[in-house]
Parts: sequence; C-alpha cells; structure tokens
Amino acid sequence: MSYLLRLMLKEEFRMHARYSSPRMFLTFPVVVFLFSLAIGLTSHRILEATPLSEAILFLHVSAFLYGLGVGAFGFLGAQYLERRHGNRNYLVAMPALLPMSFRRTFFGMYVRDALFYTVLLLVPMVAGLLASVPFTGFRVASIGFLFLASLVSFLLGMSLSFFVSTLYMRSRPAFIVGTGLITAAFAGYALFRILPVESILPGLAMHYGLPPFAAPGVPALVAGLAGAGAIAACIAGALVLVPDHYEPRSTPAREELPRVDARLGLAGGYRIHLAKEFVDLKRSGTIAKMFFSFVTPLILLSFTAWLVRYGFRVPVGFNSVFYGAMVGFFGVLLYNWLNSVDAMDHYETLPLGVPKVIRSKLAAFLVLSTGISSVFVVGVSVLNGDVRLLWLAFPVMLVTSVYMVVMTAYLTGLRTNSFLFDPGILAQFSVMAMLPDLGLTILSFTVDRDPVFTIAGISLVLAVLAIATLVLYRGIDGKWGRASFAE
Amino acid sequence: MKAIEARGLGKRFNSVVALDGVDLDLDSGQFFGLFGPNGAGKTTLLRILTGQLAPTTGTARVLGIDPAREPLKVKAAIGIVPEVESPPSYLTAAEYLYFVGRVREVANLQRAIDRWITFFDLDGTRGTICRDLSKGTRQKLMLAAAFLHDPDLLFLDEPFINLDPIYQRRLKDFLLEYHAAGHTVFMCSHLLEIAEKLCNQVAIIDGGRLIARGSVAELRKGDKDLEAAFLRLVGERR
Repeated sequence: MSYLLRLMLKEEFRMHARYSSPRMFLTFPVVVFLFSLAIGLTSHRILEATPLSEAILFLHVSAFLYGLGVGAFGFLGAQYLERRHGNRNYLVAMPALLPMSFRRTFFGMYVRDALFYTVLLLVPMVAGLLASVPFTGFRVASIGFLFLASLVSFLLGMSLSFFVSTLYMRSRPAFIVGTGLITAAFAGYALFRILPVESILPGLAMHYGLPPFAAPGVPALVAGLAGAGAIAACIAGALVLVPDHYEPRSTPAREELPRVDARLGLAGGYRIHLAKEFVDLKRSGTIAKMFFSFVTPLILLSFTAWLVRYGFRVPVGFNSVFYGAMVGFFGVLLYNWLNSVDAMDHYETLPLGVPKVIRSKLAAFLVLSTGISSVFVVGVSVLNGDVRLLWLAFPVMLVTSVYMVVMTAYLTGLRTNSFLFDPGILAQFSVMAMLPDLGLTILSFTVDRDPVFTIAGISLVLAVLAIATLVLYRGIDGKWGRASFAE
Repeated sequence: MKAIEARGLGKRFNSVVALDGVDLDLDSGQFFGLFGPNGAGKTTLLRILTGQLAPTTGTARVLGIDPAREPLKVKAAIGIVPEVESPPSYLTAAEYLYFVGRVREVANLQRAIDRWITFFDLDGTRGTICRDLSKGTRQKLMLAAAFLHDPDLLFLDEPFINLDPIYQRRLKDFLLEYHAAGHTVFMCSHLLEIAEKLCNQVAIIDGGRLIARGSVAELRKGDKDLEAAFLRLVGERR
C-alpha cells in the first residue's frame, strides 16, 4: 500500500504541476501561508468585527466544505475510469489490468487526497498563523489545537463525500436519500435551529472544548472521538459500497445531431458546434450536474445573506442588484462544466481552431445560463419583496455573466479547471473577477441612500465591463489561435 | 508538383529531441511509408506536417501550404487518421460523420456518410455512442472521417491497427485504388508486410533522423523483404 500511495502522490503532484509548472504549483501553499500570516497579523481588527467563536465556526464550515469538494472522487474516479483523459490514464484504472483490488486502490485515493490536500492548504495555513506568533502573541498550543480540530472537520467532509459518491456509484435513489439526509441535518441547524452546529461538526465541538475557549478536558476528547468515529464509519461504509469491478454503463442513443443542427439556424457558423455541445451535454448527464453546481452556490448565497440579515441582524441591504452581480460570478462554474464533458483531441484532425470551439461553448453558456439566472434573480427578488430594482438587476446580471465567462475563457481557454490551478492565472482571475464584483456589491448596498450616485456608478462599471468583454473576446484569437486541443 | 516538402524539421520536448533536422520531398501521387522503431519520431513528423504540432526548427510545405503558419488550411485540404482512435464520446458513428462533414462543408453529405457507413459496415452502430464502441469500430470510424471529403492527400498513422483481417483487406484495396487515382498517401506503420505491398516510396526514421529513403526495392538491396532491410538498417545503429 505504501508503494501505491507514494506513486499516487507523485501522480497527483505531476497532474497538478503539468497545468503550469512544478514551481508555479508550489507557490500555491506559499500564497496560502502569506494569506494566513496576513490574517494573523490583522486578527486584532478582524476579531473586533467578528467574535472568535464565529470566526472559528466559519473556519470549520470552510474546512468541511473543502473536504466535501476534495472527497468527491467517487464521481471523479468513475470519470477517470470511463473517460480517456486525452492520452492519459490514472493509477486508479490499473486494477482492470493488474492483480490489484479496486477497493484498495480507491482507499489509496482517499488517503492520497487526505495527505495531499492537507499539505497543500491546512499545513501552510497553520504555518502562517505560527509565523505570526511573535507579533500576535497567539499560543502555539492553541494553533496546534486549531490544526487538529480543523483537520477533523476537513476529513469528515472528505469521508462523507467519499461515502455519498460511492452511494452514487451503486444506486441513484440511495444517493438522493444520502444527500437529502445531509442537507436535512444542515437545514436542521441553519433554518430550524433544532440541531446545534457542533452536533453536525464534531471538529467544531472539539475546538470549542480546547484553548482558547476552554481547558482541554473530557468534552473535547468525546467530540474528537465522535469525529474520528464518524470519519471511520464513512470510510468503512464507502469501502463496503465500492464495487470491486467497475463497468461503465452503456448509453443508448437516437440519432439527433442533424435535427438539433437544423433547429439552430440563428447560430450561423457556430450551428453545428452548438448542436454538438447540446447533444454532448444531454447524453453525458452533465446538464444535471451543471444545474446543481450552479444553483447550489446561489441557494447557499441566498441563505448566507438571509442569515446575515436576520440571524446576525447585520443591517446590510442584500437587494436584487447584489444577486444580479453574484449570479454573474457563479457563471464560471457552468463554463467549467462545458469544458469537462469530453476529451477534445478528435478536433485535432479537423480544420478547426481552439477559438472557434471556445466561442461555441460561450454561446452554449449564454443559452443555458440566461434562463436559470433570470429565474433565480426574479425568484429571490420576489421572496425578498424587492422587485422594484429588477430593472437594474437584469443588466447587471447579463453584463457580469458575459464578462465573467468571457474573461475566464480568455484566461483559461478550454482548460478552465486545469489553468485555475496555476497561481499566475488564479491571481489574474481573482483581480479581474473580484474588483468589479466588489464594486457592484458595494454600489448595490448604497442604492437606497443615494440612488443617483448608485445608478451612475453601476452604469459606469457595466460600461467598463462591456468594453473589457469586447476586448477579451477579440483577444481569444490571439491568445488561443495556436493552441492545441490535445491535453 | 510536390505534395510534401520539409527542410531541417526539428522538434524538442523539453530535453528530449523527437525530431532532428528532417529533410523530405514527396511528389504528388506517391504512396509513402515511414517506418521506425518505437519513439523514433514518426508520429511527431506526421503531426508537424498536418499542423497539429509546431516544429522547433525548420520549415515544411504540404500541398504548397505551410502547416505551422496555416494549420487550418492544411487540415482542410488533407485527411488525417491519428495514432489513437478518439472520436467524440457522446456522438454516434453517423453523427460524428455528420459533424465532420458539416465542419468540412462536404457537398452531398448524406451520400458521403452512407457510402462510408456501408463501406465499414457501421450501420449496426446507429444506436450506440462512440464511447461504447469497440476499438476496431472506433478505428473504422476515424478512417471514414478522414476519407469523407475525398482529400488529395491522406496522412495515416497506423491505420491497420485494431482492424480485423477482413477490414484490413478492404482498407488495403481502397488505398490501392485511391493511390491509383493519382492521390498521395503518407503512412506510418509497424506492419512492414502490408506496407511493402502498398508503398512505392519508403523511409526509415530512427532517433529523430531519416536514416534511409528510396523505393522498396532500393531499401531491400539484397534483403529478402522490407522487414529484413529494416532490421539491418536499424540494427546497425544499435
């Protein structure tokens, strides 16, 4: 196992490093370290605005969500096995050829990701806090406890995700029930307050039982053991559920590309490409994944806004203009899915350039996202009794959506997920995404105080974004004209 | 007219020299076979000539077009069968041919699709997406996609791999007819026995360099067949 684990860790590192370079990839934990150090150095101010217990709650929820994301390799593993990733194959596919247990290899993936992502994020985060000790006077033991407790939350998220994704491999109804129960547990805390959050996140309960909150004692030990037990139970359950032989399901299909192509007359030279995108999305089941990955953060955002306004009683005016800007921000997730449907190396044999395929994906994005985004913005506005600003929210939503996705396409081409691991690209993306979004968010909060100023400000930001969109859209040819489809 | 002209073509992948100063002239109407041991540079040369890869050094012209400068123009004029059969996972065979035909703006597309569906007996795959097809069927589909627009020049990388003897024979017959009609073929292969029957011009590449070039008879010299000549020429360098 240790030999397999070493190889898997090397594979994971090389897979990430090839998106940029090993040096660039290794700057990621350095950035996390510096960010964490900055938080440590400014903690006295942060803690004035946010009590320590709430900051720790935020940390554990983030670690848990991070774990949930990392642990979804039941889905990813299935994709690795089903789909040739360009010309690459992965160690997890080796049990098909070698006398290796698929279950054991799958467990190897869990251990690999637990180690890899702990070292990538949690360790530099804690190192940053430790480096701030001479200036902040934080106790080293408290930081050690923070690491242990957040590790429990991270591993719980990972294990739960591992378990649920193996449910998905076995049975779709069982998967729906599993995710429903997890959602119900969080709703029990967040919406109805019938469950304390510590009972869902034992890592948090453990943390609240340790310094600086309390002297170490039985409650922390019990919570820690409960966390370890839950993690072990999820892993054991997942290992029982993982099939030892994996056979991809075959998908029957009716020929429909010519019919879809004929219907898309308005798309001009992009007609056949757009038709292929829609057929691909339908048959690969990506439409459902896209819908959930787009709608889930929007629902979380609405919930957070609701919690801030009514739970924490912070008088922030989250209006429909704010939601319009946020919808645009999350559009990147849809574009990412559009690029993950299938390997694209077959395009190499055709008289077709990368920019044309990027543009057809942008067109598909617009068709797919505009309806959902509009329904969301209208729905949230109606629920919040805030329809009076819809006339402003719609242009904000449309311009930011198109800007965000064109900017992402310009920066990452057809490999969004890959290139966003490149710290250089990530830095550019963060600046180009955050600045306008921050501007629009702040302006949206001032709309009731000074409507003329707000409308003028938003108009200016939208005009700048529209021009930037045009420049970036035209730049796609120059940047990606010589790029290859092969991974 | 020259179908292919290459001068000093080189390609490096980091510290690995895949191609090292290759010069090649090929007249139109030739059936050219390129042979070499694994990793010799065959596929790299084919990918450079078809505009899939930019050379590190040197220049090339394919049907008078520079593939490094105008890769789409080259790809529009030629047919390519890649080394790995890789049709899009979620289209059926007929849909993939339809897609290729629309991208290549093939006239009488349905007739062309029907012709190649029949030629490779792909009619039975109509309800199956490419991901679920066998390797051999995917290879037939890639061949059909390369032939669909009736190009003047074909680049074939191991076209016989994964095909059963029936379709190997059918493909050989088609390629001979295609060549007899005055078209040009550039083929990389390890199957020397088949290549010997098809090619009138051959070259051997090793370590990124062309080490021998000529007609089959010229390369064989006193050897009993092309395989023996290959083993002698490559073996001398080992």
